[in-house]
Amino acid sequence: MRLTVERRLEQPRWLGLVVPVVSVVFALLVAALVLLATGHDPLSSYRQLFDAAFLSTGSIDQTLIAATPLAFTGLAAAAAFRMRVFNIGAEGQLYLGAIVAAAAGLYLGGRGGASPGVIAAMVVAGAGGGAAWAAIPGVLRAFFRTSEILTSLMLNYVAGYLLTYLIFQSESYWRQTTGFNAKVFPTGKPLPSNAVWPPWLLHAQGGIDLPLGAGIALLAALALWVLYRRTRFGFEVQVLGDSEGAARYAGVRTRRKILAVMAISGALAGIGGASQVGDFAHALDGDPNGLQKQGYGYSGIVVAALGRYNPFAVLLIAFLIGGLDNAGNTLQGANFPSGLVGVIQGIILFSALGGELLVRHRPRVVRRASVAEATPLPGAVQ
Amino acid sequence: MNNALLVVLIASGVAYGTPLLYGALGELLAERSGVLNLGVEGMMLVGAVMAFWTVQKVTGSSALALVLGVLVAAFSGAVMAAIHAFLVVTLRASQIVSGLALTIFAGAVGLSSYLGSDLNLADKPAAHTFHAIFPASMQGWPIVGPIVFGQNPLVYASWVCVIAVGYYLARTRPGLSVRAVGESPGAADAMGIDVVKYRYVHTIVGGAFAGVAGSTFTLALTPQWVNGITGGAGWIAIALVIFAFWRAELCLVGAYFFGALQALAPELQARNISLGPTELWTNSTPYVATVVVLVLVSWRGAARRLGAPASLGVPYVREEG
Amino acid sequence: MTKRKLALGAIVLVAAVAAVALAVGVTAGSAKSNGAFKAAWIYVGPYNDGGWSQAHDEGRLYVQKALGKAVQTTYKENIAVGAQFAQTVASLAAQGYKLIFATSYGYVTPQLAQKYPNVDFEQATGTYVGKNVSEYFGAAEDTVFLSGIAAGAAAKCNTIGFVVAYPIPEVIRHTNAFALGAQLAHPGIKVRIVWTNSWYDPAKEKKAAQSLHGAGACVLGQNVDSPSTGEYAESVGIPWVGYDSDAHQFAPKSWLTASVYNWGPYYLRRVKAAMGGSWKPGFYYGTIADGFTKLAPYGKGVDTKARQLIAKQWMRLKKNRGAEFTGPLYDQSGKLRVPKGKKLTVSQLYSMNWLVKGVIGSPKG
Repeated sequence: MRLTVERRLEQPRWLGLVVPVVSVVFALLVAALVLLATGHDPLSSYRQLFDAAFLSTGSIDQTLIAATPLAFTGLAAAAAFRMRVFNIGAEGQLYLGAIVAAAAGLYLGGRGGASPGVIAAMVVAGAGGGAAWAAIPGVLRAFFRTSEILTSLMLNYVAGYLLTYLIFQSESYWRQTTGFNAKVFPTGKPLPSNAVWPPWLLHAQGGIDLPLGAGIALLAALALWVLYRRTRFGFEVQVLGDSEGAARYAGVRTRRKILAVMAISGALAGIGGASQVGDFAHALDGDPNGLQKQGYGYSGIVVAALGRYNPFAVLLIAFLIGGLDNAGNTLQGANFPSGLVGVIQGIILFSALGGELLVRHRPRVVRRASVAEATPLPGAVQ
Repeated sequence: MNNALLVVLIASGVAYGTPLLYGALGELLAERSGVLNLGVEGMMLVGAVMAFWTVQKVTGSSALALVLGVLVAAFSGAVMAAIHAFLVVTLRASQIVSGLALTIFAGAVGLSSYLGSDLNLADKPAAHTFHAIFPASMQGWPIVGPIVFGQNPLVYASWVCVIAVGYYLARTRPGLSVRAVGESPGAADAMGIDVVKYRYVHTIVGGAFAGVAGSTFTLALTPQWVNGITGGAGWIAIALVIFAFWRAELCLVGAYFFGALQALAPELQARNISLGPTELWTNSTPYVATVVVLVLVSWRGAARRLGAPASLGVPYVREEG
Repeated sequence: MTKRKLALGAIVLVAAVAAVALAVGVTAGSAKSNGAFKAAWIYVGPYNDGGWSQAHDEGRLYVQKALGKAVQTTYKENIAVGAQFAQTVASLAAQGYKLIFATSYGYVTPQLAQKYPNVDFEQATGTYVGKNVSEYFGAAEDTVFLSGIAAGAAAKCNTIGFVVAYPIPEVIRHTNAFALGAQLAHPGIKVRIVWTNSWYDPAKEKKAAQSLHGAGACVLGQNVDSPSTGEYAESVGIPWVGYDSDAHQFAPKSWLTASVYNWGPYYLRRVKAAMGGSWKPGFYYGTIADGFTKLAPYGKGVDTKARQLIAKQWMRLKKNRGAEFTGPLYDQSGKLRVPKGKKLTVSQLYSMNWLVKGVIGSPKG
């Protein structure tokens, strides 16, 4: 007797909505048991979680701040993973995007350009930096058939060391060198005011600050959706993702696609880096205890997978996961070990992962039999 | 002579490379069966914390406490890996995402951190640690002294494991079967090999190795507990498997290479040798070196000949096989 | 069709139950204010790291014990500088916390402080003082100097190894103070440094200690947070000076002493002031005299002569903070940096980027 899953013959659309919800509820039930076992009140914890993520004053602002980078890295992962190009390097591509965008902001802003122009230049610079960093594993995959999983992962570390080096271990262009504070502790040079990205004030729930990056992420999601669903390029990407053999048979130029997809993916992550500089830090954050501790690149992969690589779903999931991260900071404290937050988040992720499979597969118990018997005939009545 | 830079680096490479070696051997087994497990860091941390807890709790002889510690670490790692195995083998979830979720669940902001604070493990040194077992006179022998005889039992055990894993994969029936599973699960299935069982077993054993790798930190290298004590060793172990062309004996070479590189910066500083932005390049070198090796390996399909399991990362689905 | 309706019904039911539960939770739990004054501490590392963050947490517990039910304290650990800190402050402010102690450089920015005018911020090791932002730190260099004396006195050779974190002024001035102390007890002794580029990395620190020992050091000291250096010192039988905490249990035979911060009394003063409405921003630089920094209890390796010398210097520094940096002081290249009789100001200490003569290693990392 063994539990297995088999592909559904048809996938009702309601299942796509119901299963994730049930997964999360299931996860919360399991997590509630864990909380009870460790002596915490689940209801009160969940109330705090929800409150901190979405309900209390200023919570949406903070959730948006957490969600914006996740949206970019999530879109970056979705763009690549959809074609089965596993770009794990969004983390490093985000750093490179931040580095190049900060340089653009410092230089162009310092020369007194008009704010929209400087900001646009920062976005382009960030995209360029990220795309260039992603091109390395892209080229290696396209021309040398090297696994992009590991090359992009390795480059994350190199990017991190570079970022720290620029601020902590050198007197680089990005480093603040004037003023008393600069001598006390290494910090990045602050952006001139015309390079700071202005948030958009929404008049709802006491005023919500929508970061400019969030707006850009929305546009990027739209652009990605149009690219993948409404253009020939996107069609070929999807065919390559679903069946490489078929694509090659149809004459799709695989190498160029791989390069293009990696570049797009890296560019998206790079804009996320530009957003970090322009929206939030207003300088290049090279502190090893700062941006590098957040792991946005890796969380983006989780976001993309949960969103099944659909750009709009990615935005939604980024918002939810951002809320979860934000709430986790609230939940931890003297009475709530921070380790439990990770445990709860892990349970939710596992559950969502497992549940996601049930959308396309149904569970079955099979008796140990030969291959032929275990395979149901297509169209057979279940 | 024993204080020469090269000797010191190799000796340090062996010592600091041992957790990397254990982690790589475990991941090697999992990947040979076609399962990519990115949760090595999380499994290592859980192994580390549980091993530490064991030696703090067990009264009796040092040897008993330490052996139990290692066994508990192996068991804890195996349990963590079982979660991943269930998700990716039975539920056919994305191996990458499941591994990352495991790192979140078990890692420095998850279970290992919780266990560390709940069991009050910080602030005291390990009650028992592994020490070098050869007499000081032997440790003083030129070159082989510090490199071979100055190490602790976990290092020697890792050598046995390398030989065992290598032999297993190359010469035994189940070892060849698992390689078939990794290369082509459909063909293996048709031959009557139980793909599901092989993937489960090798992933779980891989987790056990990761747990032991974690125990190397808290029972030998840095016998204390603090959140995240493995410091990213799990990720390096994953890279190491590729670097070693999926071969056990090359895992050893690679692990000691990475370990030596980690020891390079402090050694150069202590000897007052400056090489420019030393930290930047010595930190980056292991990663850049891995990329270079990867390129050489995969050039023109060499990957298939040199060991990457063809089905790595792909869930096995019988009807579609 | 039936299955679909069943599933939909189940979802609606579950959602309804969840909503009710949350609603009940909200109404039942929201009225929880008990009049206690709320103060929070935010740490960059784990609260029980046996070093920097743990010392702050002990200060928090000191306040909690002293004021009992009148105050409600909490802490947040592993909070990164930047967005995560801002999120944490937002939620603390929403929960009614009125005083926040930010224990790492870069946490509190002017923009952030202006966003929460009703919350008072205390930033450790920083420089910005604002309407609701106060700075606090202390002359740890004085007690590090004293711990250097212990190291110098215990040295049977001519080199001490010192494991250091980042090449920033704070660490550089502690290194200099340590070296000056060692030279006082053991004239001509050299202090060799290795940078780990991390505040807390047990494996790297152990390797640094090993390298220093291999390079001839017979005493080890540190300006990093883990006791790894001490564990190594114990394993090879050489004396060890710790940092930031009393870690003698990690190296019972090697332990000499360590410079420790005593945050408690300052925290109590500030919490009381905030409770009473008399809190004002300022720049506090604690000293030996007001109990801010002290030495951890001595180990067996500190002999009577060393203890007497330390006691004498203690009295000198108690009356004259920073006296160890009185000239003439030369840097590594022999250049005179502090003329005879002059003392370095706090501002000069905060921006120190040169190492004193006798220290082997680069101040650039």
